[in-house]
Amino acid sequence: ALLPYVPRVPAVALLGKVTATTFALERPCCIFDRHANASDAVWLAVAFANASATFRNPPSRADVPPYKQLPTAHSYMTLETAVAEFSCSAPSPAVLRVGGETACRDQGRHDPCNGPLPSSGPYRVKFLLMGCHGPKAETRWSDPIVLRRGISGSAIPP
Amino acid sequence: MAKSDDCVHILQGLLVFGNVIIGMCGIALTAECIYFVTDPHGLYPLLEATENNDIYAAAWIGIFVGFALFALSILGIIGVIKADRTLLLVYIILMLITFAFEMASCITAATHRDFLTPNLFLKQMLEKYQKSDPANNNDQKMIEGVTNTWNKLMLQNHCCGVLGPSDWQNYTSAFRVTHNDADFPWPRQCCTLNAGGTPVNLDGCKLGVPGYYKSNGCYDAISGPMNTHAWGVAWFGFAILCWTFCVLLGTMFYWSGIEY
Repeated sequence: ALLPYVPRVPAVALLGKVTATTFALERPCCIFDRHANASDAVWLAVAFANASATFRNPPSRADVPPYKQLPTAHSYMTLETAVAEFSCSAPSPAVLRVGGETACRDQGRHDPCNGPLPSSGPYRVKFLLMGCHGPKAETRWSDPIVLRRGISGSAIPP
Repeated sequence: MAKSDDCVHILQGLLVFGNVIIGMCGIALTAECIYFVTDPHGLYPLLEATENNDIYAAAWIGIFVGFALFALSILGIIGVIKADRTLLLVYIILMLITFAFEMASCITAATHRDFLTPNLFLKQMLEKYQKSDPANNNDQKMIEGVTNTWNKLMLQNHCCGVLGPSDWQNYTSAFRVTHNDADFPWPRQCCTLNAGGTPVNLDGCKLGVPGYYKSNGCYDAISGPMNTHAWGVAWFGFAILCWTFCVLLGTMFYWSGIEY
């Protein structure tokens, strides 16, 4: 099922909502309740903006593209979270941070790794509700998100 | 040539009064410059790293000039009261030399104040703060000075960066080479810390949630004391010079009127 929700960077004033290798997203509330069982998980699919059209939802959890495939496959899925945290009554924080895990970046494991993004993008994201038999619902792709790129410090005029 | 005794006495009185003021101002100048040289705000390493610490040189000159003014004012008082031509000649020559030194000090302090812009400190902070590969011993010394000073500044003044934490995001820096952007969008010293020195909420700090990080820049904490230093040395010095100029003119006039 295609849900009309569009993921977006939070509008509130957070200085670190977009940095050079991470960005924040508003956590959607209530949108998956109609389609989800308690055992389902919500994933975040991240893709380069020009590769979002060719992204295909993985048919099962074993086919989920991991973080380390981002350079080759131009997309990956991460932030596997129980659907209960997206329900209407969840007391969860309003913001998700993509790219905040640096410890798993260099390990070759296939576990979902929320590693820092390697370039400034632009990226597009969508939420995907995965059940035991495959994807059940998804949101729309977000608008392209461009990360910050620092100007060289030596370019500052004296 | 023949002056009435009253005029001479008035002139002598004025010159003694002028010299007393010079003596007191000399002591005040010495005290003020000693205060600046002791660097109560701990900002000297930042100036040292710019390789242009002329406002400190100006303060050092101010210490010696202030003391010289005090000594010369005593010499002047004695010379005026005794109406001794030799003493007054020595006084005038030495006072002119001191005048020149003080003029140099004031102009240096006034013009180098303009050198201390936000961009200067921003560039220095980005290039040297927590830099890990010093080019030589001198570089290592500057890096340590800048890093320790900035850490102290950010902790004591509850500020971050020169203009704000976004300095670390808007520009590349030596800090970024050793501290990755995901874990350290800005240094840990920019987070609000609890009594033990650890961040109150590290995730909140990394995200930039208001209240968990310090959002204002440290430029005011740097430029405030440095401006006071530069203006204090420069303008007090100029004021003393104006007064000294008048007293010198009066002394020369008095000297030319003393009979052999």
